[in-house]
Amino acid sequence: MVLSTVIISRGGEESLRLARERLGADIVVVPRGSVTGVEGALLLGNATNTYMPRGVVESIAAVPGVAVASPQLYLTSMANSSCCSVSLMFMFAFDPVTDFTIEPWLKEKLGHDLSAGQAVGGADVFVPDGQDKIKLYGYDFDLVGNLEPTGTNLDQTLFMTFASANDMAEASRTKAKMALPILADTVSSVMVKAEPGADRNAIAKAITDAVPEAQAVPAAAMFGSYGSQISGVLRTLVVIVVLTVVLSLALMGLVFWMSVHERRRQIGVLRALGATQRFVLLAYMTEATLLALAGGLAGAVLASVAMYLFRDLLVSALGFPILSPSSASLFGLIVAGLLVALLVAAAAAFVPALRASRQEPAVSMRE
Amino acid sequence: MTAVSLRGVGKAYGDGGRTAFAALRDVDLDVETNDFLVITGRSGCGKTTLLNVATGLATPTSGTVTVDGVEIWSITDAARSGLRNRTMGFVFQFPSLLPGLSLEQNVMLPLEFSHEEHADTRERARELLDMVGLGHRLGARPHELSAGQQQRVVIARALINRPTLLLADEPSSDLDEETEAEIMEILRRIHAEQALTIMMVTHARQLVAFGTRHLEMVDGTVRENAQHESPSDPAAPA
Repeated sequence: MVLSTVIISRGGEESLRLARERLGADIVVVPRGSVTGVEGALLLGNATNTYMPRGVVESIAAVPGVAVASPQLYLTSMANSSCCSVSLMFMFAFDPVTDFTIEPWLKEKLGHDLSAGQAVGGADVFVPDGQDKIKLYGYDFDLVGNLEPTGTNLDQTLFMTFASANDMAEASRTKAKMALPILADTVSSVMVKAEPGADRNAIAKAITDAVPEAQAVPAAAMFGSYGSQISGVLRTLVVIVVLTVVLSLALMGLVFWMSVHERRRQIGVLRALGATQRFVLLAYMTEATLLALAGGLAGAVLASVAMYLFRDLLVSALGFPILSPSSASLFGLIVAGLLVALLVAAAAAFVPALRASRQEPAVSMRE
Repeated sequence: MTAVSLRGVGKAYGDGGRTAFAALRDVDLDVETNDFLVITGRSGCGKTTLLNVATGLATPTSGTVTVDGVEIWSITDAARSGLRNRTMGFVFQFPSLLPGLSLEQNVMLPLEFSHEEHADTRERARELLDMVGLGHRLGARPHELSAGQQQRVVIARALINRPTLLLADEPSSDLDEETEAEIMEILRRIHAEQALTIMMVTHARQLVAFGTRHLEMVDGTVRENAQHESPSDPAAPA
């Protein structure tokens, strides 16, 4: 329980941190009233159907303090594509000329720009067996690399340039069963880089005032609703964990007390044979430690397996991404979980063990 | 030489007020080395309490207890445990073998608390189990034995540390007559061959004949039975 809570809360917070880091923009401009939808697209890779005219890019670029404005397009998801290890796949187009958020990141990872016909996939995207390209809407993509896992739908997202997206839309009209519904000259969002030293909040306000179709959000304020959601879930989980620990403590205390009571005659015999009070205390505490280690290890394995198996379900139910911990991090969490189990067991066993050790042997042996 | 000495020993249970129950009342007793002392009395007269107080298993309310020259209630619990382990062997009325251990492990159990290395530990455990007729069941678990056999293993366990004092609390009360006779015969033989001091409490007056000395307990006090004589043929008590 403790381990699951930590994995969920840390996974959620880590996902948000990575998303903010990857955003790379100072201000995000979205169609008015669609902040949550774009947050979902950026954070979770969720499809969003809100668009604004491409012309807003020039209006935004003209706002004082704006250094660069680069559009992005989030495309409708595909179901049951053969190129992915997942049932849904999302598409994400950007403008390589103005882009400063994805391109540098791709350059760093891939060592080159993304050209037409090339795409980069999230961690779960792959080229189907027996093929050398990913075919989408009748258009062939070279998968030139995969990104690190994020614990979100971005893992099942294909990143491409606007040119590739338009080519794909064109190809879909003649080669696909269903045409790709890209509205001409529309964008889903515009990433803004502010001039050095400029007040980002003031620029965001100026953009919102200058472009009626758009709403500008400083990057620091992005994903705020998800942050609140994570905090809310975390608070609930913490309450549940505290209650669980308190109940475990009481229950284990009762179990140890019953165990001591049941074996009081054996304790009396051992004391008669020469066992000291310290021996009896240590014997019970050792037993509690071994039980805690066994139980803690079983719990840690169960929690890890459950988190692995049901992560997608949890992400969907909780509404925020959960980044799976690295092996080293998971190991650390398991060790921490075992320590918590040890502390709880030691606290629960100490009083009954101390009482058993200090009881007169003759009293212990009495029926 | 005195093995165990009690002076003015009292033991009361309860809150010390009107509800207090005096299990021992101002008991003075000297048990000499190599005595086979049999203490009889009705249930509730204080026999087991006397044994417990004399061995450091129960704290006396008043008086002093000396074992092997050591005043046992003036030393620490750890020292008292060590003294018990080195000088005393116990045979209880109830089944007292640890169910998870083999007979051999049960017999060697007291050595766990003595922190002394004995090269011949296993050999001695086997000899003792042989002595009580169970040398062929070393690996057996207690639940595989009858009550009488278990009690014989307990006697072997009581002797593993070569004690000078053997305490037996109703050692045959749960046994049939034949098994009781076997157990008593083992105790008599141990007393004769190993020069042990034995203190045994029992409600069965027919066992008095196995001892060399008899005390009667009545309402927490002890009375010497001056008429008691050691049996000329202990194997066939009158």
